[in-house]
Amino acid sequence: MPETTFIRKILIANRGEIAIRVIQACRELGIQTVALYSDVDRTSLHVRQADEAYHIGGARPSESYLVIDKVLDVARKSGADAIHPGYGFLAERADFAQACLDEGLVFIGPRPHSIAMMGDKLAARELMRKAGVPLIPGTRPGLTDDEILAAAQTEVGFPLMVKAAAGGGGKGIRIVERPEDLPGALASARREAEAAFGDGTVYLEKLIVGARHIEIQVLADAHGNTIHLGERECSIQRRHQKLVEESPSMFVDEDLRQRMGSVAVRAAQAVDYLNAGTVEFLVDKEKNFYFLEMNTRIQVEHPVTEMVTGVDMVKEQIRIARGRRMGPTQDSISMNGWAIECRINAEDPYNDFMPSVGRITANVAPTGPGVRLDSGIYDGYEVTPYYDSMLAKLVCWGETRGEAILRMRRALSEYRVMGVNTNIPFHQSLMDSHRFMAGSFDTSFVEERFEIEKEESDEQTELAAILATLVAHRDRQQAAQIVQRNARDVSNWKWFGRWERMQR
Amino acid sequence: MRYTATVNDRTFTIDILPDGKLLVDGKPRDVDFLSLDNKTLYSLLVDNTSYEGLVEKVDGLYQVLLWGALYSVRVMDEREQRLAKSSAAFVPDDVEIVIRAPMPGLILSVPVEPGQAVEAGQTLVILESMKMENELKAPRAGRVHMVYVKAGDSVEQAKKLVSVI
Repeated sequence: MPETTFIRKILIANRGEIAIRVIQACRELGIQTVALYSDVDRTSLHVRQADEAYHIGGARPSESYLVIDKVLDVARKSGADAIHPGYGFLAERADFAQACLDEGLVFIGPRPHSIAMMGDKLAARELMRKAGVPLIPGTRPGLTDDEILAAAQTEVGFPLMVKAAAGGGGKGIRIVERPEDLPGALASARREAEAAFGDGTVYLEKLIVGARHIEIQVLADAHGNTIHLGERECSIQRRHQKLVEESPSMFVDEDLRQRMGSVAVRAAQAVDYLNAGTVEFLVDKEKNFYFLEMNTRIQVEHPVTEMVTGVDMVKEQIRIARGRRMGPTQDSISMNGWAIECRINAEDPYNDFMPSVGRITANVAPTGPGVRLDSGIYDGYEVTPYYDSMLAKLVCWGETRGEAILRMRRALSEYRVMGVNTNIPFHQSLMDSHRFMAGSFDTSFVEERFEIEKEESDEQTELAAILATLVAHRDRQQAAQIVQRNARDVSNWKWFGRWERMQR
Repeated sequence: MRYTATVNDRTFTIDILPDGKLLVDGKPRDVDFLSLDNKTLYSLLVDNTSYEGLVEKVDGLYQVLLWGALYSVRVMDEREQRLAKSSAAFVPDDVEIVIRAPMPGLILSVPVEPGQAVEAGQTLVILESMKMENELKAPRAGRVHMVYVKAGDSVEQAKKLVSVI
């Protein structure tokens, strides 16, 4: 039986909204928090909210948040007992988890060897095969053309993809619909791979048509309990970046949920998993599901699971790291209502999602029933080009999916951010889309079948014109007013205020 | 006072009368306008319908945020309109366009060279920022005049990158 570990002070090896999320959990538990900051993060919200903060170097992550020695040095200086890595940065680095343990620190996450096993994609595939986890049918790299042609007919099936073993950036990938096209595709894929990577080795992978990206949240404690907390639907993506997540998924019925859940638990147990993790699957139209990978950390989209299960994931992470039994049991988990998350990014949805930097000049947050905002920004905050463009996550809960969507539309319209472009109009357009409302989408939806509407009603356009003109007029009046300020008894700022007064 | 306000392709003529009444394209509107934070947030009652919006002046344009959508509005008074009309005739079509960095970042590649003919929409520079590769494209067809940066350069916002004539 593992003994209980004392955790009184947690160092958060991260920044932005996830650092704040961890601080919130620590506050509720009465645990002290230590923040790290780079040159450009002195004014960031996590520094303002943590109990202590330490400067660790340059703006580039490779000079600060990714430098293990600097992070451990702060842990020593501050007397922290544990480290929470958040997501990204050092979260999935087995060497970092090991270095924490070597320092006598509690790493709030899985054991180092579990991270390592899931981090090596080929080895993980083999492990999962042995554990009976379904994989996307395919061949191993390095077969001869004859072997590949035979495998295509038998174990893979059409349509399929020819992929370069040394691949990346879409190079060397061929989609083949019919057997007779395979020899030609093989030859051209090999040529392209040879030219691009100096290695013509290819392999086959079945093409999952109309695939959805659905993942299962798992939790494992040191007492041998591993449970799943249902699914998250993450098919709304662009360039493999998730934009909207929801839980549950319209596509998953109770039978599929239990089947996927028990496979995810098996996958976690196969790598001796501890703490929170996510098993990602592709699900085809016939509800066959295939293992993609396991994320050995807390996910960006964990709030949707929190909203429907009522489990505070970050507090459970800390409880598990303390060596205690986790709060929920498999039987106590039920999914109540529906939650949707929109990732609010600093990017221009009308200009190919170009990232946007600058000072936030207005930040009015949505509030009210069923609305949760995990945010890393404030009015006056400077968005820099050094880190991820995600500013905040807007999460809405409803008793039904319909109610959650209506709440999200309402909350998006209340959310006002100025100073940088945001993708809020994209989300508004998506929430109005009939296909989204009907739940008929797959991972290619945003890129292939969704067009952000820039259809402005005459009323809105006219209103924008009126508002801008009134502000312009007031600016001019003010300019004239300031010249003769002493001639007047009324204070300037009263003078600016009301429309009627400007007319004197 | 007469103003013209241009949003996208639409132009409105807005008269602000001495008694505070408003005429929008000649139609009278009853308007109550109030700054809420002395900064960017405004409340507007138009014929008793209530609206709230954020307005900020950026590079001479008024950026208006309404219901989550951003509008760029050019507001001109009569004097400015006359100026714009008289100077418009002198702007030649083949004026040099300078592509500047929309944000600080790292130049990944510059796939064009001086003298090269380019199509509208052709990639001129690939800039890495916020972990993303951003392709900066030619706004119209032309010929590359100057290339100010090379792959590997770190650039500040608004740095000149490439010019097209």
